[in-house]
Amino acid sequence: MLQFENVNKYYGTYHVLKGIDAKIGRGEVVVVCGPSGSGKSTLIRTVTRLEAIQSGRILFEGRDVVARNGNVNRLRARIGFVFQSFNLFQNLSVRQNLILGPTKVLGLSRDAAHAQAETLLAKVGLANKIDAMPANLSGGQQQRVAIARALAMKPPLMLFDEPTSALDPEMVQEVLQVMRTLADEGMTMMIVTHEMGFAREVASRVWFMDEGQLLEDAPPARFFDRPAHARAQRFLQDVLRPAPRTAALID
Amino acid sequence: MFEILHDHLALFLVGAWPSGPLGGVANTLILAALGLVASFPLAIGVAMAQVSPWRWLRTGAGAWTRLVRGIPLLLIIFWAYFAVPLLVGAEVSAFTTAVCAIIVYESAFLAQIVRAGLESLPRGQMESARSAGLSWLQSMRYVQLPQALTNMLPSIVNQSVSIIKATSLAYVIGVPELTYSAAQVNTITLTKPLQTFMVLAAFYFVLCFALSRFAGWLERRIARHRLGLA
Repeated sequence: MLQFENVNKYYGTYHVLKGIDAKIGRGEVVVVCGPSGSGKSTLIRTVTRLEAIQSGRILFEGRDVVARNGNVNRLRARIGFVFQSFNLFQNLSVRQNLILGPTKVLGLSRDAAHAQAETLLAKVGLANKIDAMPANLSGGQQQRVAIARALAMKPPLMLFDEPTSALDPEMVQEVLQVMRTLADEGMTMMIVTHEMGFAREVASRVWFMDEGQLLEDAPPARFFDRPAHARAQRFLQDVLRPAPRTAALID
Repeated sequence: MFEILHDHLALFLVGAWPSGPLGGVANTLILAALGLVASFPLAIGVAMAQVSPWRWLRTGAGAWTRLVRGIPLLLIIFWAYFAVPLLVGAEVSAFTTAVCAIIVYESAFLAQIVRAGLESLPRGQMESARSAGLSWLQSMRYVQLPQALTNMLPSIVNQSVSIIKATSLAYVIGVPELTYSAAQVNTITLTKPLQTFMVLAAFYFVLCFALSRFAGWLERRIARHRLGLA
């Protein structure tokens, strides 16, 4: 469904993505992890052309997303994108956030879009917030609305760029729960996250990135228990057992 | 001073109207309102061009605003006085000339305000709108502009204060507005220029002060609204 072929990206002379080759099949949940600055977010943003690439190809449903004759709006309408900072439209109510894309881009009738908005909000557990303004919602609620907003476009692929990184700890689970449900329903997802527990439990495969390279592409069981790459082993030690190291640092 | 105001109140308020053309405060307000209403859409267009992804549009709009902002309004009025009839190919009233000049001048300043409003929005607003498949123009129309204009409303009202003061320059091409009325009163009373122009200043002050207060009130209201209290 989604395929990276030797994707390279530079910021000036800085090589951000180094020859990424990878594939996501229909119904797969791929979790992308790695230290900050490794290029995970950049990679996910190249899929909908929020970031340009300098060489290589990215194929979505068999079509090159960076092709000159490609319609970027039509591409984006078919790929849901969930941001770290939610990015709900601040001037619109929750309801309006959910119907803007479907009515203006997909040409859905207002009634159909309304009905769909209600169903989706119920699905993310926020049916009672349909007329709220984004500013009056908690972070976790905003992110769930953002997921519902992306789903309203009925995309075959959902991208999540650190969806829980901007949330207070107690709100992380409510968002992960929604994502878990989506995975159970067979949604194809690419998720950049630091939630290793979630990755182990939900991912079909884990990609590990460091310094712009995709170092590992393995099922979670293998990735967490027997990471092939030394850099991945060190990363896992750091994220899975942070307490002793912190203690050592304090000593 | 009060005597002058008392004796010539009608001249200050409406000029020679109803026996002659409308002037005074009334015409000043009409000039300012026309200037604001007509320059506003223009300003939105210029501001959008300035933040657009198309380089030639950005360059053109940027050059235009810098040019206009670098020229005194008085010069634009003079220039319009001679150029507009040539462009239209017919005689044009002083009033129309003044309105055109004010529109050109104020649209550049308003564009700066609207542009600041657009640029101060979090980048994620545009990104998420585009990610939903909305075109750039649709994103502007439904997401960016409504937010930018709400945020900038107080500044826009404040800019109308400057428009009101700018209309006084229409006097030089003989548009019967407030300053023109004061000059007329001055020729009638002859010996009291100081007092006459004090009255004129008071008129402008009252108009502009009221507008500034309104802008302040709007600002507080919008701030409250943003916190979800209203």
